[in-house]
Amino acid sequence: MSLFWIVIRQLAEIEAMATSKKVITREEWEKKLNDVMIRKEDMNKLVMNFLVTEGYVDAAEKLRMESGTEPDIDLATITDRMAVKKAVQCGNVEDAIEKVNDLNPEILDTNPQLFFHLQQQRLIELIRNGKVEEALEFAQEELAPRGEENQSFLEELEKTVALLAFEDVSNCPVGDLLDISQRLKTASEVNAAILTSQNHEKDPKLPSLLKMLIWAQSQLDEKAVYPRINDLSTATLEDPTV
Amino acid sequence: MGSNNNNNNKKKNQDLGLYFLEMARASSSMGVEDEKEESPMELNTINSSGGFLVVSPDKLSVKYTSVNLHGHDVGVVQANKPAPVKRLVYYFEIYVKDAGAKGQIAIGFTSETFKMRRQPGWEANSCGYHGDDGLLYRGQGKGETFGPTFTSNDTVGGGINYASQEFFFTKNGAVVGSVFKDIKGPLFPTIAVHSQNEEVQVNFGQKKFAFDLKDYEAQERMKQQMTIEKISLPPNVSYGLVRSYLLHYGYEDTLNSFDLAGKSTVPPISFAQENGFDEQDIVYALNQRKTLRQLIRNGEIDAAFAKLHNWYPWIVQDDKSSTCFLLHCQKFIELVRVGALEEAMKYGRVELAKFIGLDEFENLVQDCVALLAYEKPQESSLGYLLEDSQREIVADMVNAMILSTNPNAKDLHGCLHSYLERLLRQLTACCLERRSMNGDQGEAFRLHRVLNSGKKGKC
Repeated sequence: MSLFWIVIRQLAEIEAMATSKKVITREEWEKKLNDVMIRKEDMNKLVMNFLVTEGYVDAAEKLRMESGTEPDIDLATITDRMAVKKAVQCGNVEDAIEKVNDLNPEILDTNPQLFFHLQQQRLIELIRNGKVEEALEFAQEELAPRGEENQSFLEELEKTVALLAFEDVSNCPVGDLLDISQRLKTASEVNAAILTSQNHEKDPKLPSLLKMLIWAQSQLDEKAVYPRINDLSTATLEDPTV
Repeated sequence: MGSNNNNNNKKKNQDLGLYFLEMARASSSMGVEDEKEESPMELNTINSSGGFLVVSPDKLSVKYTSVNLHGHDVGVVQANKPAPVKRLVYYFEIYVKDAGAKGQIAIGFTSETFKMRRQPGWEANSCGYHGDDGLLYRGQGKGETFGPTFTSNDTVGGGINYASQEFFFTKNGAVVGSVFKDIKGPLFPTIAVHSQNEEVQVNFGQKKFAFDLKDYEAQERMKQQMTIEKISLPPNVSYGLVRSYLLHYGYEDTLNSFDLAGKSTVPPISFAQENGFDEQDIVYALNQRKTLRQLIRNGEIDAAFAKLHNWYPWIVQDDKSSTCFLLHCQKFIELVRVGALEEAMKYGRVELAKFIGLDEFENLVQDCVALLAYEKPQESSLGYLLEDSQREIVADMVNAMILSTNPNAKDLHGCLHSYLERLLRQLTACCLERRSMNGDQGEAFRLHRVLNSGKKGKC
């Protein structure tokens, strides 16, 4: 290590002491990391939970065989759920609604917001395909009555219908409704509702744990200077700096 | 390859082997990872203010037996142990059997040196909720407006929330209020009686609480979770970590299915290019690692040995290494599993006996050999050896050994720990460090608990 870096590091440590933060060296920290006990089984479960919740049914089945980890949900139900999700992602909303009802009619009955969003998506798809008349009819007959029940539904409906007013939607203020991201948003909403109806958490645990890591590091930052991991995707331990 | 490299390999081999040997031994004691801390179980009869009160023989109820004359003849009694701190919440309850002449009953927390003839909250380093006026006292003579009064037949609880650093009190199962905990050091659950015939029973958790503590804890965790969920993550980071995990451990079939599915999602996830992420290192020998894992998981140890001799002779060249030892142990275990006890015995004499007397191997050799003593070894205390997880450790060891033969492998850590595991270790270490800087107060992060919580969908 060059003298320059040694000096820089010492300065950093002095500064840290001035703010009365505890300085933990890389060696000390690595010892603490080594003392942590993480069970392999638990990591396998965490990965399985991700595969299952995100709908990677084949991969989940393979992981069960390759690692002996049992999925926390019946794998058959994933296939149905993914079919619904995929239908929305591809713009086949009618098909998706039918499939959800086949799965469990209570999902849409008890979730008016989700049902509205699916119908809205249906309207968006009609507009996308240039079926103006059909779109207007659908908006008046199916969506407007729901708007009367709920102010926020009405606003969203108006926003969607506004798409019809523009010749060039790529340049209009509500154009993002036609974006693929709107389909994905609706698809993940349906996905979450189905998972909830199956008594399963709607989000995988892994992203929450990663967020928790970011949070835990920032909490510890207040009291100590220690080697952090800044890049989650490579899990690289950085030298402590102030 | 120079001799220097060979020496390096040998050293690596030893270090990795020892790591997994440690894992194999530790698996016998796994499951007892919860931190045991002593909790209050009864009242302390030794330092209570003798003369003013009587503690029942079961040490779980007190009665004020004299007539109170002044403020220095309070009947105070502490629990036999301080409230444990390595948890989210500590909580206990009292039931007022008889409010006596004046109902001057109090519940609270006091430090070890508390003056045992005063109400909790009247002196420094104490805090108490008083029944006669419903006020909260925190070391000053004057109380603060807090909650309702309490009297005969009421159940009152006192708790410490270590996450929010607050005391909280309950009456008949509902939270009355909370107040910042400004006292440091061990705190003893404390109750006081101060007029004739006052009688109070205490419940340190032996009986069901009137208050739903589980629900309170769940809500506290939820509060923290809400803050955390607002943090945003780089796109596809979870996806990438799962992928690198599968690569690391050589779960090749899973990986292929995962990649295939990733391509057909809308929009397709093209992780590798997107992040300019060089996965050469972990793709290394993927198929061989998968094959060996499968053999070991199927209990085909001879076949695994043969493949290793063929592909990576140096890994198995030293028959006294930890690698060979664990493989031999596993072979022995597989023989016991199928009931080939005689063969197991022979195998043990040839392959395991040479490890007897070597400290680092001793325990495991003994455990393995002792399997022979049981008619139903699965049900014995050595049953852990026959579990799937033991095969997994051996498979993980072979996997790490092969990874370490990669000329591009930077360090041992890369062979031992997936990115996912490094992040989980960092998370655990950060939480533990922060807690230890906070007087060990609060709950530690436990992956195991997180995984087993929320089985029932909450939305």
